[in-house]
Amino acid sequence: MLWVDKYRPKTLDQVMVHEDIAQNLKKLVTEQDCPHLLFYGPSGSGKKTLIMALLRQIFGSSAEKVKVENRTWKIDAGSRTIDLELTTLSSTNHIELSPSDVGFQDRYVVQEIIKDMAKTRPIDIKGKKGYKVLVLNEVDKLSREAQYSLRRTMEKYSASCRLILCCNSSSKVTEAIRSRCLNVRINAPSEEQIVKVLEFIGKKEGLQLPPGFAVRIAEKSNRSLRRAILSFETCRVQQYPFTSNQAIPPMDWEEYVSEIASDIMREQSPKKLFQVRGKLYELLINCIPSEIVLKRLLYELLKKLDEELKHEVSHWAAYYEHRMRLGQKAIFHLEAFVAKFMSIYKAFLIATFG
Amino acid sequence: MDMDIPNPDELEWLEANSHLHEEDLLELSSPFPPEEERQSPPQSPSPLNVSQAYYHKRLQSDSPDSLNLEDIITSDEKRRKIDDAGPETEEDWLRYAPPQETNAEDEQHEEEIVVDEEKIVSRFASEIEGDFIPVTAPSGGDRVYAKICRVEREERSKKLDVKSQSNGLVLEPVNVLLRRVEEDAFTKALQASSEGSSDVVLDETQMVYEQLWVDKYAPNSFTELLSVEQTNREVLLWLKQWDSRVFGSEIRSTSDDILSALRRHSSVTQHKKSSDSSFPRRSRDYRWTNVSFRNSNDQDHENSNVKGIQDLWNKTSRLTGPPEQKILLLCGPPGLGKTTLAHVAAKHCGYRVVEVNASDDRSSSTIEAKILDVVQMNSVMADSRPKCLVIDEIDGALGDGKGAVDVILKMVSAERKSGTGKENATKGEQSGRPSSKKGRKTLSLSRPVICICNDLYAPVLRPLRQVAKVHMFARPTVSRVVNRLKHICNKEGMKVGTIALTALVEYTECDIRSCLNTLQFLNKKKKTLNVLEIGSQVVGRKDMSKNAFDIWKEIFQKRKIKQERKSSCGSMCNEFDFLHSVVSNRGDYDVIFDGIYENILQLHYHDPLMQKTVKCFNSLGISDLIHQYIMRTQQMQLHAYQPPLAIIVHHLVAQAQKPNIEWPKSYQRCRTSLMERMDILRSWQNKIPPRISRHLSIKSLVEDSISPLLHILSPSTLRPVALHILSQKDRNDLAQLVSTMVSYSVTYKNIKSNPLSCNQEYEATLDASAISLDPPICDFINFKGYNSGHFVLPLAVKQVLVHEVEKQNILQVSRSVHLTDGCNKEKIDLADGKNSESNSANDRAALSTVKIETGKNKLNPNQCNPSGSTMLSNLDLSARSDVKLKSSGNAKKPCTGSTNFFDRFRKVSRKGSENTDIAVQPTTTLERDSRPVLFKFNEVCH
Repeated sequence: MLWVDKYRPKTLDQVMVHEDIAQNLKKLVTEQDCPHLLFYGPSGSGKKTLIMALLRQIFGSSAEKVKVENRTWKIDAGSRTIDLELTTLSSTNHIELSPSDVGFQDRYVVQEIIKDMAKTRPIDIKGKKGYKVLVLNEVDKLSREAQYSLRRTMEKYSASCRLILCCNSSSKVTEAIRSRCLNVRINAPSEEQIVKVLEFIGKKEGLQLPPGFAVRIAEKSNRSLRRAILSFETCRVQQYPFTSNQAIPPMDWEEYVSEIASDIMREQSPKKLFQVRGKLYELLINCIPSEIVLKRLLYELLKKLDEELKHEVSHWAAYYEHRMRLGQKAIFHLEAFVAKFMSIYKAFLIATFG
Repeated sequence: MDMDIPNPDELEWLEANSHLHEEDLLELSSPFPPEEERQSPPQSPSPLNVSQAYYHKRLQSDSPDSLNLEDIITSDEKRRKIDDAGPETEEDWLRYAPPQETNAEDEQHEEEIVVDEEKIVSRFASEIEGDFIPVTAPSGGDRVYAKICRVEREERSKKLDVKSQSNGLVLEPVNVLLRRVEEDAFTKALQASSEGSSDVVLDETQMVYEQLWVDKYAPNSFTELLSVEQTNREVLLWLKQWDSRVFGSEIRSTSDDILSALRRHSSVTQHKKSSDSSFPRRSRDYRWTNVSFRNSNDQDHENSNVKGIQDLWNKTSRLTGPPEQKILLLCGPPGLGKTTLAHVAAKHCGYRVVEVNASDDRSSSTIEAKILDVVQMNSVMADSRPKCLVIDEIDGALGDGKGAVDVILKMVSAERKSGTGKENATKGEQSGRPSSKKGRKTLSLSRPVICICNDLYAPVLRPLRQVAKVHMFARPTVSRVVNRLKHICNKEGMKVGTIALTALVEYTECDIRSCLNTLQFLNKKKKTLNVLEIGSQVVGRKDMSKNAFDIWKEIFQKRKIKQERKSSCGSMCNEFDFLHSVVSNRGDYDVIFDGIYENILQLHYHDPLMQKTVKCFNSLGISDLIHQYIMRTQQMQLHAYQPPLAIIVHHLVAQAQKPNIEWPKSYQRCRTSLMERMDILRSWQNKIPPRISRHLSIKSLVEDSISPLLHILSPSTLRPVALHILSQKDRNDLAQLVSTMVSYSVTYKNIKSNPLSCNQEYEATLDASAISLDPPICDFINFKGYNSGHFVLPLAVKQVLVHEVEKQNILQVSRSVHLTDGCNKEKIDLADGKNSESNSANDRAALSTVKIETGKNKLNPNQCNPSGSTMLSNLDLSARSDVKLKSSGNAKKPCTGSTNFFDRFRKVSRKGSENTDIAVQPTTTLERDSRPVLFKFNEVCH
């Protein structure tokens, strides 16, 4: 088992990073008044961990007895019936799913599953909560229709079920839903917190941490706890008696992006752009989201750039990222950004060096 | 052969005057021996009389059923036509040009009857029924028509054959031609008379009576076709190849003739490219006349021809089978005469054309019956010709219409299967005596099928393209079309200048149909064609959609501006309009912009500062935004903003040189492989036990996890040595590694050497079959041109890991797991040992040792758990293991309920059920003995 999983806090009390939030949640639940919750924050900050710990707090250890199910729904939508299939994780008291997996028909899933849950409401309540919990992942990817239909069902069945929504960005969740939930923002852990966690793990594993090593990992981790712990373990595997200047293996795709960046810096021409296109395609094919590619590319380019250009380049990156999110073919906009950068950079070079 | 031919000057003069001068043109001296020759007083035929004059060369043929008769008919018709229209005088000489024949059985029969009671010689050709030749007396220039005897010597008939075959490409019977002459005269008279009358009356009468010019002047014979000679000939040749199949061997001689004719024709046209003729319709034929005229050494000419035929005779004996491709696919822009060609060629070869076009019901059920009817049935009635199926507008066949394509494909594939045998049969039949054409009935495609389409790249046609013989229709030269148009205008009495016609033809891009319709319309309105106003005049612009390649070409290539007289502003404007209409007519903006995107960087445009590129990509980006917005909101009217974006790109990057355009594939390729990868990830995520996978999304997997995971899974410290030599620390590492692999359900697997495998070159040296990670997660960091610094485990270590992981899985799930690769014997032994009790003691001993090791390995990670996280109650654990059993039971065989005893071992309390295996009982004690030691050891460790 990886350390990420091994040292994942199982209860709210064990939480190390967002202790205040954990304590609040605990208070919330123990006072028997759990509203709908909306957790949002960047990936690797511990949303899921908190949710699981919360569930455990509510339902006790039975919340961890989960089973994976491939559920199918037959939905009668007027003239036709729609077959939907979705993988769910469920225990006796909660169901966990990502409705956005079924694409634009996610509305039906949201409606149906809440009705189902309302029907099979646990009757025998002795000391336990009289409601079930539905955990919806990636709410920000839900279609607008699904969010609208969620809005109503949330209220209608609130007696029998609570929703815990989890997403990266709350701005894509409609106002209506946000107002019906208790919004819990989970920050990315600060570097100090990451260092603390790493040191804790090191102690548990009986490892000698050279001074500054954990800090370096934390710096490279992009404030993602998952990544920090994984690279910590990677370092451990590669070379155990740590040295303080030990190389921390980078993410491969980030390396690749930095290769692209240096390609771009080296030559600015349509021909080069064509080569860059091939590499960008490579990244996209390997499931790296285009926004992240653009962001990383900008980061790598900025590292190599003169001060005076940084502002302009960032501006254009934002411009093209906006377009990319509005549009459909990410590669068009990614490449447009690269072209724009090449143009700016070339003009700059000519202006500077003649 | 010796014949008197009017000299070219004379012909020119004739054509210039374009009057009827029959007297001049009928000066032929007989190429035949005098025995056939009879004298009669000279005559000067009236136009109508002469128009009846026709050559009729009766050929001696082996069978009375000879199809050559048809030829003669056609030659007559041609002659008739010639006489109709003065300008075509030289048509006479054409008869000595390409010998061609057709096979029509129905005409042949009526002909047969008449032949018997006829005059032998007459001054009037109309009095002779059957074949005859005109004979001019050497002395006085008197002319008679002599009937040709049917009994002739063998070699002469052959010679005659050559010549007579040359005539006929006109298919209309005499009476039709006659009627037409009368009609013409009548129409002219009518026009002349109605000239003075009021406009209203004129309009009405004409509306009633006038035929569309397009139909009126549609080519009736092969030589009248306007389409490019090469295509015509290939189509005809293709049809001719069916003869053996359709008509049996009767047709053999004629097929030779047609081949030789084609050959001669082509050689002539090649020779005569330079000769420029302003003759309206049959410029090519006219050239031929010139050639034969110049080629006054007749004997030589004939000899060479005969020789050529001999060659071809030999050649065609090989060619006689049905053509390789059973289907002919004609494609090209509208109005070039594809349908006309198909009809003319089929008729010419003696088929009855059955046309299925978009107006018919083309659902697969009805079409199938129809096609089968046409293609497989042989007609019962004796006089009916075999049918030839012409499927028009096949690219428009969508939805139900696809049926046609499917049915044809089905038949072709059926044909393929039995193809060779059938062909042999055909050949055997061929070489034997003539057989009746109704002899065979096959279930496959036994009649030619011609499909016609505008867009070769229509998706429906994709499968058809592979099996069909494809002919792209090229545009005829402008001058040719103009000539024909001028001729028609002359006939209709419309005054149009050549320049105006040229402009019209260019404007419509050689679309003859559109030209004719426009002209007729203008004629009706008593307007003249105005060169400058073609754009604004009511020129019939069709809703033409070009194929995507043409559009990209238009976008990337600058048009040469031929007309310098146009002002730059005007041409700019025109260009814009043109591109706009081209792009918007096609409408498939998604594909168009994809194509632009894929190809734009391959162009050689001057762009030192990349500004053009930036602008182009901006346009592309905007088009993507618009597209997405339209898709989301369904506001289709916004599509109107797409074509200008393409025009922007055109203005930025268009070059004069021809772009090298490829079909955009990479976006689709990217999407499909992205889907594949996503599926891999998703299935992997599903395999990972839920307590881990619930914390992972696919995004976080690729973004954060895979790279470190790969590092963790391949520790460089692990040495490839036997397990018992490993130090305790190494064992711990190994156990840790195995538990990680199990918890992420990653394993190594034998794979066939796969070029994509990340560590192939390493293992290729060691072993033929490589071992790589099972969910191929190392592919996800294996970018093209990227060298990841991942350590690759030695093969031996991998094998050890495979064993360990398998063991763990077996222990964890059930003993009845079927081992997939059967690679390691140990596991089989293990399973055997559990399943049957008949194993030898030795085996059991071996087993027990193995299991002890497993036990050790497994124990470690569990003991490593920090106290904080080991709070899980027994209940939880057992429940979870239950869950696991269930979840993995989906993929593997369900556990039989005898949860193995080792589970108890691995996790302290993981035993789910009670029954233990008797077979492994001995090991129990052993492991129990070793357990406390291990526990202690582990505790010391931490």
